[in-house]
Amino acid sequence: MEFFILLSAGLANGGYYALIALGLVLIFKAQDMVQFGHGEVFMVGAFTAYTVFAVVGWPYLVAFIAAVLAATVVGMIVERWLIRPIAHMPHMTLVMVTVGLSFCLKGAARIEWGKDIYTFPSVFKSGPIVIGEVVLMPQQLVLVAFTLSLSVVLYLMFKYTALGKQMKATSQNMTGAQLSGVNIGRVFSSTWAMSGALGGAAGALSAPVLSLLFPDIGTFILLKGFAAAVLGGFGSIVGAVVGGFAVGVMEKFVGFYISTSLEHISAFVIIMLVLIFWPKGLFGTKDVTRV
Amino acid sequence: MRISAFFEARWFPALFLLFLLVIPLTTNNYFQFVINLVLCYVLIGFGQQLILGYAGQFSFANAAFMGIGAYTTSIIFTLNVPILIALMAGGLLAALVACLVGLPALRLSRVYLALATIAFGEMTTWILTHWNSVTKGGDGMYSPVPVFFGYSLDTDTERYFLIAIVCFVMVMIAQRMLASKFGRAFIAIRENEMVASCNGINIPLYKTIAFALSGFYAGVGGGLYAIAVNYIVPDNYDLFQLVIHFALVMVGGLGSMYGVIVGALVLTTLPEVLRDFQHYQEMLYGVLLIVFIVFIPRGVAGFLKDWKILPREILVHGWREEIPHVREAAKTAAVFNVGAGAEDRGAEH
Amino acid sequence: MAVNDVSMHIDRGRIHGLIGPNGAGKSTLFNAMSGLVPISQGSICFEGVDVTHLPVHLRAPRGIRRTFQHVQLMEDRTVLENVLVGMHSSISTNPFKSVFGLGAEGSPDKAAREAAREVLQFLGIGHIALTEMGGLTIAEHRFAELARALVARPRLLLLDEPAAGLSLRSTEALDALLVRIRDEWGATIVLVEHRIDLVLNVSDVVTVLDNGSIIASGRGQDVIEDSGVKRAYLGVDEEE
Repeated sequence: MEFFILLSAGLANGGYYALIALGLVLIFKAQDMVQFGHGEVFMVGAFTAYTVFAVVGWPYLVAFIAAVLAATVVGMIVERWLIRPIAHMPHMTLVMVTVGLSFCLKGAARIEWGKDIYTFPSVFKSGPIVIGEVVLMPQQLVLVAFTLSLSVVLYLMFKYTALGKQMKATSQNMTGAQLSGVNIGRVFSSTWAMSGALGGAAGALSAPVLSLLFPDIGTFILLKGFAAAVLGGFGSIVGAVVGGFAVGVMEKFVGFYISTSLEHISAFVIIMLVLIFWPKGLFGTKDVTRV
Repeated sequence: MRISAFFEARWFPALFLLFLLVIPLTTNNYFQFVINLVLCYVLIGFGQQLILGYAGQFSFANAAFMGIGAYTTSIIFTLNVPILIALMAGGLLAALVACLVGLPALRLSRVYLALATIAFGEMTTWILTHWNSVTKGGDGMYSPVPVFFGYSLDTDTERYFLIAIVCFVMVMIAQRMLASKFGRAFIAIRENEMVASCNGINIPLYKTIAFALSGFYAGVGGGLYAIAVNYIVPDNYDLFQLVIHFALVMVGGLGSMYGVIVGALVLTTLPEVLRDFQHYQEMLYGVLLIVFIVFIPRGVAGFLKDWKILPREILVHGWREEIPHVREAAKTAAVFNVGAGAEDRGAEH
Repeated sequence: MAVNDVSMHIDRGRIHGLIGPNGAGKSTLFNAMSGLVPISQGSICFEGVDVTHLPVHLRAPRGIRRTFQHVQLMEDRTVLENVLVGMHSSISTNPFKSVFGLGAEGSPDKAAREAAREVLQFLGIGHIALTEMGGLTIAEHRFAELARALVARPRLLLLDEPAAGLSLRSTEALDALLVRIRDEWGATIVLVEHRIDLVLNVSDVVTVLDNGSIIASGRGQDVIEDSGVKRAYLGVDEEE
């Protein structure tokens, strides 16, 4: 029976890994770059939700919306004032800037929250749902359901809406897209807004599941998101979701059947193994190796 | 006379060594400790500079190499091995690991190399934390007091001499290595791999050499760092440490040996001022990284070179011997106006 | 651009012009010779040795060098450094010799510097050896790249549009230099160039490519009179 317990716990974690990976993949798809500050976007969401829900005491739904808004605004500000002015620079520069950004945000959070660990109170008054021996927290179910429905929406958006097509065109050929009338500023701005919203939602939804918050949480979360995105084949929406759940489940199984201490590094092992032996990942289309 | 001429003089290294040796006369304990750290960071920073600034490989593994060097040196030294051999062992192990880490670099494109190396870095910290029997776990371990030919180096000043001499020798070697076919091969790879290979450069081989050397410098630097601070913890070699290395290279100047020295001076002394405020340190590094990479990509060393305070860094051994020939050629070029004539200048650019 | 069933023989010590309309496959042929694109069928022999599957970096030490249609130099580095990149295979890889200068040769880069000096003077750009590429003209870029290809004394020199962007005066200088490279240095040159006049001036043999295959080959004037060539270039059919 432990199999199902592990599976459900893994899927629950996988839910927010997938959300983080989706945020990373969106920016990668539009701008062909990796956002190293995305973990801190998650942190912004989580701490906003914490402040509104646990400190101010407003309902969780309000806290969730506040978190999403805050993270969206952070994403848009970063894009407009930091990334767009240097969008023409080499990728290495862009990535390095997001590394710097990550530490700026982390330091800023530490001014208020220091090095302490904060506990997020539970959201639902009702107890856990028990099916056989499997115990599910309502929060976990909400998280998984949210992730799944959101990924369907994103998938459809990329496939059918004008914005989705413009994003695709922009990532393949920025100048070409610009010449054919795509407002690439708007495309980037909406991409970062969406990525921010996803990060904020992940923060708000997973904070009660994680229950522990600390300013350093971003790095930890970012690496899980990387693992999910890499496993799914960086750049694929479906891949990010499947990869997220797969990483979540794998961690739990490794942690239980091999060694608990291995649980946390299985994500890094996944990143390294996939990149070395199977760079395309599950659903990868982009060639990650050198031409 | 330009200030840069002073640095270019043949006797400058000897004078600088003398300067290094008299520094302790002027310092108190705390200042001495900071200077020790600066010298360690020169070597560590060179590890990052070589791989990022010269070979152009986007590697996030330097903090891990530093950690491997620090732990290996400390652990081997506890077995009563002479300190210089322990340092070399730390450097060599880090170099060996760096070769393995470099393997994916042979086929992965830039951002993916970053992801693979960042995962490697996190794994290293994890191993240092969990390999209790060897590393004493997450609480860290005391690095033993170094003994140099039977003489125990108890104070910061005594350790300084060991650090300064190792650092001096390794910087001299680094400079000669850069001004040779090796340094030129690295920058050629950074610029354009296809062109480099058309000029006979074996790309996988030279990338691996770059990784190995980078690991060696970061490893020895890490070993000296363990000696300087006396106490090592796994958490010290995480992403935060790496951002210090990035900031060091960017502030000093990407692709410059002087940049490493300038960067080590700035990045080691500045945070000492903010010692008790980790949040301000983090923001400082973040802001420095962004500002320098966006607005001042040539770093402080770039300015100093423009103002003729620091000399040019031309990666050719003995390039100064070419100066008279260039002057001679300029005379004939002015008289006969041969070859790529001056009338092309500007018009077709 | 695909190249199909092309058979070419390049005589030692000749200048071999390669012309054809855009997209004829000149660049592909060039890249195949320098090893940058794999070839699916056929073989490439150089000095009697099959080099078809020889990796790119092993072709340079055999004496095959090339320049690029768009000049490829390190813009933030000096001409001398760029040229010495071309000497890579000629300098010992043993670090004791090439870094510390402990070999019989003495100073590590001395021989390479002398070779570079000679080439730069030969090309008339010795005065800019210690100038960074960034501030130089396009002609100086072309000549510096030529110097990098020449410095290791190649036996086969592949020049991809060396006159593109040059003024008439510089083109004339280049013209004379190519002939001297052939006569004095004994190098075989394959020349891809849009300026037909330059090609006709210096080439011993001219080959015309169109749509990935050879449509004519021979002495310059004969080839240019060929009706197929006129058709390929001008798009007219003489029978009409």
